[in-house]
Amino acid sequence: MAIEAVNVSVTINGEKRSAEVEPRTLLVHYIRDHLNLTGTHIGCDTSQCGACSIMVNGKAVKSCTMLAVQADGMEITTVEGLGTVDNLNPMQTGFWEEHGLQCGYCTPGVMVAMMALLEDNPNPTDEEIRMGLEGVICRCTGYQFIVNAVKHAAKLMAEGKSLVGEGLSQ
Amino acid sequence: MKMVHTYTFKGISKETLWSTIQNKEVLQKALPGCKVFEEVEDNVYHSVLGINMGPIKGEFTADVKQVDMKEPEFYRLLVHAKGKPGEIEADAEMNLEDTENGVLLTCNAEVEVTGLLASIGQRIIGGVAKVIIGQFFKDIEKETKNLVE
Amino acid sequence: MTKNIGARIKRKEDPKLLTGNGYFADDIQLPGMLYAAILRSPHAHAIIKSINIEKALEAPGVVKIYTGKDLEGKIGRIPSSWLVPDSNLKEAPQYPLAIDRARYVGDGIALVIGEGRYAVRDVLDLIEVEYEPLPVSVKQKDAMAENAPLVHDDIENNIAFHWKAGEVEDKDIDEAEVVLRASFNVQRVAPSPIETRSAIGEYNPGSGELKLWCSSQNPHIHRMVLSEVLNISESKLQVVVADMGGGFGGKIGVYPDEALVGYAARDLKRPVKWIEERNEHFSASNHGRDEVIDVELAGTKDGKLTALRVVNTANMGAYLSTMGPGVSTIDFGLMITGAYDIPKASCETFGVYTNTTPTDAYRGAGKPESTYQIERAISLFAKKIGMDPIEIRRKNFAKKEAFPYTNAQGLVYDSGDYEKPLNKALEMIDYKKLREEQEAKRKEGRLVGIGISTYVELCGFGPSAVAGAIGFQGGVWENSTVRVHPSGKVNVYTGTSPHGQGHGTTFSQIVSDKLGVPMEDIDFVFNDTRAISMGWGTYGSRSVAVGGGAVSIAADRLVDKAKKIAAHELEVSVEDIDLADGIFQVKGVPGQQRTFKEIAKSANFAWNLPEDIEPSLETQAFFDPSNFVYPFGTHIVVVEVDKDTGEIDLQRYLAVDDVGRVINPLTSEGQVHGGIAQGVGQALWEGIRYSETGQLQSGSFMDYAMPKARFFPRIETAFTETLSPVNPLGAKGIGETGTTASIPAVMNAVVDALEPYGVTDMEMPLTPEKVWQVIQKGRETN
Repeated sequence: MAIEAVNVSVTINGEKRSAEVEPRTLLVHYIRDHLNLTGTHIGCDTSQCGACSIMVNGKAVKSCTMLAVQADGMEITTVEGLGTVDNLNPMQTGFWEEHGLQCGYCTPGVMVAMMALLEDNPNPTDEEIRMGLEGVICRCTGYQFIVNAVKHAAKLMAEGKSLVGEGLSQ
Repeated sequence: MKMVHTYTFKGISKETLWSTIQNKEVLQKALPGCKVFEEVEDNVYHSVLGINMGPIKGEFTADVKQVDMKEPEFYRLLVHAKGKPGEIEADAEMNLEDTENGVLLTCNAEVEVTGLLASIGQRIIGGVAKVIIGQFFKDIEKETKNLVE
Repeated sequence: MTKNIGARIKRKEDPKLLTGNGYFADDIQLPGMLYAAILRSPHAHAIIKSINIEKALEAPGVVKIYTGKDLEGKIGRIPSSWLVPDSNLKEAPQYPLAIDRARYVGDGIALVIGEGRYAVRDVLDLIEVEYEPLPVSVKQKDAMAENAPLVHDDIENNIAFHWKAGEVEDKDIDEAEVVLRASFNVQRVAPSPIETRSAIGEYNPGSGELKLWCSSQNPHIHRMVLSEVLNISESKLQVVVADMGGGFGGKIGVYPDEALVGYAARDLKRPVKWIEERNEHFSASNHGRDEVIDVELAGTKDGKLTALRVVNTANMGAYLSTMGPGVSTIDFGLMITGAYDIPKASCETFGVYTNTTPTDAYRGAGKPESTYQIERAISLFAKKIGMDPIEIRRKNFAKKEAFPYTNAQGLVYDSGDYEKPLNKALEMIDYKKLREEQEAKRKEGRLVGIGISTYVELCGFGPSAVAGAIGFQGGVWENSTVRVHPSGKVNVYTGTSPHGQGHGTTFSQIVSDKLGVPMEDIDFVFNDTRAISMGWGTYGSRSVAVGGGAVSIAADRLVDKAKKIAAHELEVSVEDIDLADGIFQVKGVPGQQRTFKEIAKSANFAWNLPEDIEPSLETQAFFDPSNFVYPFGTHIVVVEVDKDTGEIDLQRYLAVDDVGRVINPLTSEGQVHGGIAQGVGQALWEGIRYSETGQLQSGSFMDYAMPKARFFPRIETAFTETLSPVNPLGAKGIGETGTTASIPAVMNAVVDALEPYGVTDMEMPLTPEKVWQVIQKGRETN
């Protein structure tokens, strides 16, 4: 059953990285276990919870539903690419100011999914944000402060703050 | 879980259908993803089936028994299948009845599943089983016609 | 000084979590670390005839496979920690792996240790187990019947315990003017934190020390219990909780899995990591609720309630969980009268073993169930006598003057003023107008419903003597140490165990106000039994009331000590020293002062201390409160039901809660929102389902409906503040109020909406299909 490892190379948060992995390795495990970027989390095994959401070539995907080999050569953004503690991006600031997180486990995935929403729709209504949250599950917040956080982020963006954090190639 | 399924085999008699569904080769062709099909003793078969049901995929080893045979109109099919996603235990009553449109086969089954099949597959198992059984009968019909021709 | 207490302050915890720098269990990588996976029974009840691991042992990467038989005598049984007295409690032994019989789908059968998370998963599929299925007991009332299959052969009628409190005679019910009889089923749900459970063990064969990272809401309870299970000195066992992705009661329990990982790490002398999968979580992590509650509520025609008799039949699952027995008895049974002064009340509880996953505390633990039955029953009673649901509540409330109020079963409520949040809620929602609108819409044939719940719940357990009297195997006090370093920066240690609640912020607000040091100079240490001497964890909404109490007292002691040092240095008496904004000031003498930082250095260097003062600036407090705390409030819900589809549109949700002193309105509102979402989830969507054969049918987020953002309106919240007299902050619990209040509020609203069809009750969750069916039935009979 020994299967030969394959090399998977990606550009992640602006940095070129590669690792040898079993071909069946899920993208999320590649990122977490092989690239040691543990900000992206796993909350289920049927792609419902969205805790593992990341950006692949500019689109939000659930990284537990994609194989690492499928991402070979692609550009990936994870929560680590959004902004640093000293320089939070508007989404992170929104979540902080508006208490959009409690345990913080689903948060990285939720923020990435919401960045994709704001890219399509920079000024969403409550209703549109709630629809946009369909692909994620948060057990702590009851979602209301997440909605506030996203609105706050949208406002910061409208004021000219860039969604793209430091070290991103996009 | 109870399942009822009917299928009308057009243009053939009970007797023809009976002999087809007792034919090992026909069964092997009609069973979904059948990789192995051996008669262990009279009316007792051992088989390996590949099942692909929504989120659940896997190989099942199945023991199939036919009992209470009343040729050509009734028999009971007992299936015990075991695979990585769980186990399937089925007890099906098969009734063959001549009608003006052909033979009406009625399958009355009590099916129990365990493991992942139950905890994730339950929601869709009825629907999927319907598709699999439907396909099975369709293939039997095709094979019957081939045999008759 | 209250600069920070009461202020809306964003959390100190967040920058780390927002940037992917959280440190959760699965982020931990140790040199030479192995992975664990657990083979679980696919049968609800079966004899384990044989386990063949031959093929599995040949798989690549496998290191060791343990079965129940291998571990017999090597790991002890996993005990329950709530042995409710006078209940004839029969605790069936639970071993870390089933030895000869599997008793529920999810029962552990074998433990696989190997190199890599995928490798151990492969191995599970290669273990061959021969089972002989046995008849099953799934529903609690069926399980109590004569000749029902026994989960444990020596436990008659599957009755784990039978408990009773309070006295109601037949005549109290039979001779009453009005009697409302109802049976409520508070269905089984899954706590479902988004991070599943986990355990990582690291053993040092030289020192004999075992470090165990556990998903735990109470690491010291884990240490205490596991040291016995694993037969390791409590002094050599360190339990640590990494950042944790929620708990909601599901991580209170000490589970077999944690013992297995600790054992394997010690046996193999290599670190071992186990991360639960979501599907596994649904069968192997404790569920909540599952209580069938029969109610008889007696009263007069004009709405005065006179007696309440309740029988609760609680499904305990296959084994008694850590807190399980206390939920349907103490938590539920002493709170059945809720906010109402009903002179006679009794509760009888049967805890029943079944072939299902064990049940334990889930957000609210017994209080959502007790609140559900009384809030549903009182609304039904009102309907029966044609009284407004608000009026009947007002009429029966325990009166403000009666506090501390003793209920019919002898429980003393610390403080209360039930009219206050009710009045505020009615005003905020404009209740009169709301009813008029409902009437108008009904005339148009629309199904609009208004539901109310005026709840009270018990939380913040204490004192410990009471915990002992009710059979809790531990204390319920809390502990805090405030340690000031020579630089003046502060570490605070407490035994509560946050995992999303934001104690680091809330408690810093308390310490900052007391010490006058800025919030950013205070860092909290939680969740490590080596760093924190003792504590009892986070559950039962106890952290601010009890843990915050300990923090507050420790900080007061620190100020006392620091003042003495300052007075000594400034050569005045202590009474002459004021502390404000971090400056120790001689009263009335400007310039005569010491900064907090200067005193920190003096205390730690100890060059010149008063004679009776020991070096260092560190104080500790152990706080055992004199009573529980009883938060209360009013929740009002407006729904509209779609006649044609049965869908329920949650249109308004208003929560006015009285949790005593609110330390941080921002995080408090967050707790209320989250609690409400879980309660609404139970009322409308969530439910663990078992087949008649005990097969779990809701084992994923595809099959178990979690609350989603688009199902909710904007929740309106407000607080009233009736301070608790039993802790220094005047605070009560807030974590569970939303869940407790919301379930009956939503149900009352839906039943109200369906009144035109003669509907008085429905089974939760209220799926569109069920609602549609009662509408159809109502149409036929009307």
